[in-house]
Amino acid sequence: MSTAIEVEHLTRRFGAFTAVNDVSFTVGTGEIFGYLGANGAGKSTTIRMLCGLLKPTDGHARVAGHDVGHEPERVKERIGYMSQRFSLYLDLTVRANLEFFASAYGAHGRELEHRIGEMLERMQLTAIQDEVTGSLPGGMQQRVALASAVLHRPRIVFLDEPTAGVDPVQRRSFWALIRELAAGGTTVFVTTHYMDEAEYCARIGIMVDGRLVALDTPEGLKRTHAPGRVLEVRGPKLAPALDALRGEPGVLDVSRFGAGATVRVDPERLPGEALGHWLRARGVDPLEMEESAPTLDDVFLALTAGAQRGED
Amino acid sequence: MASSHASRTLGRILAMAGKEVLHIRRDLRTLYLALAMPVLLLVLFGFGISFDVDHLELAVVDQDRTAVSRELVRQVTASEEFVVAWEGTSPEQAVAELRRGRAVAVMVLPRGFSEDVARGGAQVQLLMDGADGNTATQALAKAQALVDVAGRKLAGAALPAPPLEVRVRTLFNPNGRSALFLVPGLAAYLLAIVAVLITALTVAREWERGSMEQLFATPVGRLEIVVGKLLPYLGIGLLQVLLVLTVGAWVFDVPVRGSLVALGLGALLFLVGMLGQGLLISVVTRNQVVATQVATMTSVLPSLLLSGFIFPIENLPLPLQVLSRLIPARYFVATLRGVLLRGNGLDVLWPQLVAMTLFAALMLTVATRRFQRRLD
Repeated sequence: MSTAIEVEHLTRRFGAFTAVNDVSFTVGTGEIFGYLGANGAGKSTTIRMLCGLLKPTDGHARVAGHDVGHEPERVKERIGYMSQRFSLYLDLTVRANLEFFASAYGAHGRELEHRIGEMLERMQLTAIQDEVTGSLPGGMQQRVALASAVLHRPRIVFLDEPTAGVDPVQRRSFWALIRELAAGGTTVFVTTHYMDEAEYCARIGIMVDGRLVALDTPEGLKRTHAPGRVLEVRGPKLAPALDALRGEPGVLDVSRFGAGATVRVDPERLPGEALGHWLRARGVDPLEMEESAPTLDDVFLALTAGAQRGED
Repeated sequence: MASSHASRTLGRILAMAGKEVLHIRRDLRTLYLALAMPVLLLVLFGFGISFDVDHLELAVVDQDRTAVSRELVRQVTASEEFVVAWEGTSPEQAVAELRRGRAVAVMVLPRGFSEDVARGGAQVQLLMDGADGNTATQALAKAQALVDVAGRKLAGAALPAPPLEVRVRTLFNPNGRSALFLVPGLAAYLLAIVAVLITALTVAREWERGSMEQLFATPVGRLEIVVGKLLPYLGIGLLQVLLVLTVGAWVFDVPVRGSLVALGLGALLFLVGMLGQGLLISVVTRNQVVATQVATMTSVLPSLLLSGFIFPIENLPLPLQVLSRLIPARYFVATLRGVLLRGNGLDVLWPQLVAMTLFAALMLTVATRRFQRRLD
């Protein structure tokens, strides 16, 4: 697999604040690469450097074979970029937006007409091409934004939180489009903070406070950072019991949600049955206990908790 | 290779300009504002806010009460530039009229006026309300002229002609019509508003909405963004100049006596400078509200106050006179007045054009330099 993006020790500082701190990774051609992190973790800053919009303070990045610090214009010609607030011209029609971006990338005449027609078809926007973009629901605006970012057939497309504020059904159909793009050989670099979306990515990098703290396939991340068994527990008097549980041997992680909690245990040291006995003995009775698979949420929680402990 | 590079550049500029035209078409209020406002203001200023003095109320104190004194009053008011608002014999009462604002001038014809006229050396006293300086000055000049003419007629050939007679004649605008004086100033003022304000707003809007970031991620260069974005507004600005001059010519009989080349060149240079200033403001502020305020302070107000449009530059305090040299509207007003009223051409007006060229070059250079296609 050839390399689409190569990042080495990439660093960006704003005054005394380090937004991106010594980040290195590579992304292969045709790969869907997910970039996960809380708000302010440095995802957008990384993407802006890779798109030639921000100059790196330190380190290098090569995108589509060109250095983003030295040849940002070469990079811009070869990539597509969909920014966080998908910045379409809301007062113009769908078609006018596409026509503008197509001509901004140098398409004209019949070529332009052909590409726009094809893209409208592919994104299922043909019926609404003459609507004013601002009057469309969020999910459709997002498809128009994706269409204008890939209209010039870039080799690499950067999507910065493309599905923020869009309902789950629209998100799912949007991801179908992304997978279609990748199947056609386009490299997709996508940031998100929806963990369920991250499962669609071939590999995931996790950013915490400007650092890339983990990078692997979703399965690999779960094996490394959220090992053991995950048990969802519910019952009375749960709160005091959980506080006592945290220090017990074999307990890897305890996190509350709503009326219940998720407890991750090392099955070698604390089997599920033993946990049940332990909780019942502390008055959590009747106890509901259900086993579930570790999710990327567990990975993310483990990593952010680790980062916080590291700071203390 | 070079030609394909140029054609790509041209294509991107046209893409920008085309998009901007679509924005303008989507928001026709801007266009109406840009085109209807000048005409409306011109008519308002031209008719309503006239600096011409006419039908001035005159309080007449005739203490002579003879046929000669009554004839003088009749002659002075014959042209209706003055109308008799009050008549009596007490100067104190007449001054009270002045104080109450019911008259702008008092004319006193003293007892024995008719004999003095016959003998030569008659005197007429004029009291002016100096509170409104502009009116007072003009009224005084008119009254003096009228009384002088009327006096001569009354004295007939009996009065020997003075050995040296000084005659003041107003050139270029012989009737002292405000419209002739106002149209050039108004044209400059309106162009300054539209060019700076609308440019500042439309560019700042792209920053605010985040579409500027999207633009920066495309291969469209900064000069291409700048030129493409400004072209449609340059067109609107030139259309405005034509509109204002046409309305000026039709409604107010403002002539075009001088070089059309100088006029066109002046308008173009002035507009480019103003568009550049608007661009610089929006590049620095990146915010529509702040951009509006800065544009008002740095362009709209100076173009109104320091351009010679309303206050003659020679009457300004020295520091403001120096400041006015930095205001391109000053040079454009001078160019317009030169072409329209004095019949000047490039031979006379070139220093004004050079000044505007310098301003435009400075604004565009600084704006384009500040306008980095990076976000940091």
